[in-house]
Amino acid sequence: MDHKLLLNFAMQAGEIMLRSGAETYRVEDTIMRILSVYDFESIEVFVTPTGIIATIDDKNIEMTTKLKRINSRTIRLDKVALVNDLSRKYVLGKISLQDAIEELKKIDKISPYQPLILISVTGLTSAFFTIVFGGNYKDFLISLSIGIILGIIQRLFINLQLSRFLADMLGGFLVGFLALLLTSIIPSTNFDNIIIGSIMPMVPGVAITNAIRDTIEGNLLSGISRGVEAFFVAISIATGVAIALKVWLPF
Amino acid sequence: MILQIISAFFATFFFAILFNVSKKELGYCGLVGSLGWLIYLFIFKWTDSVIFSNFISALSISIISRILAKLRKMPITIFLIPGIIPLVPGAGMYKTMYAVLNQNFKEAAFYGAQTFEIAGAIAIAIIFISSFDTLSHKKTK
Repeated sequence: MDHKLLLNFAMQAGEIMLRSGAETYRVEDTIMRILSVYDFESIEVFVTPTGIIATIDDKNIEMTTKLKRINSRTIRLDKVALVNDLSRKYVLGKISLQDAIEELKKIDKISPYQPLILISVTGLTSAFFTIVFGGNYKDFLISLSIGIILGIIQRLFINLQLSRFLADMLGGFLVGFLALLLTSIIPSTNFDNIIIGSIMPMVPGVAITNAIRDTIEGNLLSGISRGVEAFFVAISIATGVAIALKVWLPF
Repeated sequence: MILQIISAFFATFFFAILFNVSKKELGYCGLVGSLGWLIYLFIFKWTDSVIFSNFISALSISIISRILAKLRKMPITIFLIPGIIPLVPGAGMYKTMYAVLNQNFKEAAFYGAQTFEIAGAIAIAIIFISSFDTLSHKKTK
């Protein structure tokens, strides 16, 4: 049995999950379960949102430690589900280590939804949330167009590798400004509903949920850092919208 | 009201695409979101308390997500993250910011406190259900 191969597989599975937006405790649990397939004397796994460390030791092998730094994170819940499933299959012995490694490589190469789909979906999310929060059909159409513009701008920011917080602030400003502009032109529309609906695609849903779930599982470090991330994203969006209102309202 | 619930379905459905949830699960995400919003509206009509409605709704969303996760053999977050989104107090945050901007600090304090209370209620609801989770998977180990 090649323990280095096993450790590499476990780390890679963990890395993909962590990069895709899984909870830190789930990553820890997955690596732990994969490594527990063999009865090593000691297995230690430590995961934070920005890195993974795992150590295995036994009488017959050299103690082996691997560290992996995670720099970029994109939200790919599809990959989280697939790796979760694969690790379960491996632990239950339904798949060999070689096949599992091949399978993992395939999962990592799965492409996300097309940019055009993501842009239109940003618009639709904004538009439907505007209705949920009490908007009328005119508000719906305005939010739809604002959302689509927001989607295009967000793609652009990702390509420019702009910091998340600056991107959200500019996004908030754009939403606020366009909402005020369009509601002043088109009668019987309400800019409150439009703004609240249109900022929804920027809401840090993964950070909020994972902050809570990591804290309850005892991963306090991750809980705090995700909570801080969520808080600052919220502040960035609010600041962006506030600047737009401040610039517009005196007129 | 029915229009709002249908919109909640689509809003959650499309939001799940933004997070790259696989095609097969999108419908379930939408279902969680719309059921959560239905429960929110229902409880709000009944009790008139924003905090309590958010709490019960978040509790229901967590339970439904838990059941779906078991049935579909998926991590719970696939359903929980999109499903909880309609409850996120974006409106409260916006109203707080708006009041601060108008130097209306009394209103700002009110909405600010309410936003924190809602966030707290949602967190407690998720913690409540996740704790049972922790219990059950410790047992199987």
